[in-house]
Amino acid sequence: MKKLPFLIIFTVAVLLFEGPIPGYTAATWQWLSSLKGQPSGQSMLMPSALYCDRTLERYYVVDAGNNRLLSFNKDGEFLNEFNANGQLQAPFDMVKDCEGHIWVIEKGRNSLTMIDLENKAVENHSLSFNGQTVFPERLEQVDDILYVLDKATGQVLALGMDLKVIRNFACRDGTGFVDFKVRNGFLWAMERDGNMVCFTMDGKPASSIVMEDVVRFPYSLEVGPSGIFYVLDRHGGEVAVFDPEGRFRYRFLTPGQARGRLYFPIELKFDPWGRLCVVEEGNGRVEIFKR
Amino acid sequence: MMSKLMWLSLLLIVVLCVGQAVTGFAETTCFQCHKRADFRGKVVHQPVAEDRCSACHSPHVAHFKGLLQKSGASFCYGCHKEQAAIFAQGIVHQPVRQGQCLTCHDVHASEANGLLKGRLAESCFACHKNLPSKFKHTHKPYAKGNCRACHWPHQSGNMQLLKSKPDELCLSCHKSDTVRQVHRNFPRGVSDCLSCHNPHGSDRKAMVRNVLHKPYKKGCAECHGQGKIGTETCLRCHETIKKEVLTLHSHLLEQEGCSCTACHSPHAGDTSSLLKGSQKQICRSCHKDTFNNYQDKLYIHTEPFDCKECHAVHGSSHLAMLKDGGNKTCSRCHETQGKFTHPIGEKVIDPRSGQIVTCVSCHNPMGTDFRYNLGLSGTKDLCIQCHRTY
Repeated sequence: MKKLPFLIIFTVAVLLFEGPIPGYTAATWQWLSSLKGQPSGQSMLMPSALYCDRTLERYYVVDAGNNRLLSFNKDGEFLNEFNANGQLQAPFDMVKDCEGHIWVIEKGRNSLTMIDLENKAVENHSLSFNGQTVFPERLEQVDDILYVLDKATGQVLALGMDLKVIRNFACRDGTGFVDFKVRNGFLWAMERDGNMVCFTMDGKPASSIVMEDVVRFPYSLEVGPSGIFYVLDRHGGEVAVFDPEGRFRYRFLTPGQARGRLYFPIELKFDPWGRLCVVEEGNGRVEIFKR
Repeated sequence: MMSKLMWLSLLLIVVLCVGQAVTGFAETTCFQCHKRADFRGKVVHQPVAEDRCSACHSPHVAHFKGLLQKSGASFCYGCHKEQAAIFAQGIVHQPVRQGQCLTCHDVHASEANGLLKGRLAESCFACHKNLPSKFKHTHKPYAKGNCRACHWPHQSGNMQLLKSKPDELCLSCHKSDTVRQVHRNFPRGVSDCLSCHNPHGSDRKAMVRNVLHKPYKKGCAECHGQGKIGTETCLRCHETIKKEVLTLHSHLLEQEGCSCTACHSPHAGDTSSLLKGSQKQICRSCHKDTFNNYQDKLYIHTEPFDCKECHAVHGSSHLAMLKDGGNKTCSRCHETQGKFTHPIGEKVIDPRSGQIVTCVSCHNPMGTDFRYNLGLSGTKDLCIQCHRTY
């Protein structure tokens, strides 16, 4: 009979301290809101990227299929749409620089396009590195440096505001990266098989992390403040979470079209307010989740 | 008299024991009806040889055909435990993946090692019907039907179930010094053999693939010696492909060097597309998960199974790199459904996502566990996703 209290304490302790069981969907993240194109009068068609403006507290969504950019406030309310007078051709990713210029990757003309809203000017720029044309795929901007993932070579190029390549972040074996993020003072790049390479900002590889092979088709990554990796599974329609050593911890979200489900998700991003945003190409929306 | 009787008894016992050892069979109730001869061969499955029919069969009643206690590969893996673990790793041969051991193996006895059904090559060619039995110039192991010289039959860590990486495999027989001598002008170390040679055979000497790239015919300088070779080198001539690449999703392949050569040989190929292998092999080399998923599903899009039928392989601005949207791609073949079906098209909106309803809103042509490749059961579950009031 004396054993009973011990058993109860033991059970409670196990339940409290046990982490999420690998493979189980952990209800850590809950759906908060969706960014949709309908309020603009047109659904989004294959949105491809999200940019968050901390200062203005705005979201910008690249609505690739409709050749436009949409803006939303922090609460997810639609604000405006912009298509540079119909000049955008297959926009794919965007950032805003310190001077308020919008930089857009336009796949249709293979250009890193600068939009100066104040002067109503649009400049197209073809990039090259080592005598080869660069095919920009993903874009980040930190401290007046543009970081561009070149789809042709799979390396990340750091560009000054004059668009000259300052340095490159390349995979040692030449296999290349499918996505990258600049987080916590490092550049984190994901290889096609989901493994991560961490670079110092001067382009030197700092570490490589072999991730447990549980993701069907790794497509986008995020890195939490404590070094936890979030990997978006495009074909599996879910997000897999790994510890800093690459050990699989748990997965969440499921494939489908209903609210909170994923269909051909394309980008994963933390917003400045700690919410996890998933850009869904298939469902034409951005799903926002909070803890 | 007594001692003679004892000798005779002993002799009889010895003869019976030797006889049993020679035949590998003992008299059992089973063989009163089932002909023993049907269970004989050069190689006999151990339980059969040990006269343990009941290891697999139930003598009275069973759930499975042949009075088997279980069915499929899981039955085999009951004894072949090591194989079960190994066969779950890497790239797995389709019959193994589907648990169809009996596609290649006999269960009781065989004249071939490994209880194979007939000669090894016969088993292979029974499925791989597209492979010609011989070429004008045939690789010796292929001509001998020794597929296992290069391929593992069950699983491998390498594409096409190769025993090792292609170059390593070639150089394990073709000594590198000899190879270097015949490739004197080759600018790099001997590598990427399959880029020019067909490992089974071809109409050309040295098994060089049948179709040569036009610039290669003219000479190496057409592409080489003009700076670093990259994707742009190819796109200089292949302008139509350049348009296909400048789309939302392209197969520029995030790799050092030239993206095109991930799939195409720059020198020689078996067909005019100069692909490095069959379409399926090429796609599978990156999209393993799609193929594995496809093979595991109950209902799959069977004919024709060529990725290029639906997908634009260089690039597309449609979802999943489809040639057209989710309706046009399907209705090119499914003409009737394109005209008469559940309402689809621009005026019909999926209430779940606000997107236009297309064929792929309900169907998944890459395979599902429901009839007609539906995403959920068509009796109710799928419909109430949108029609909630019904």
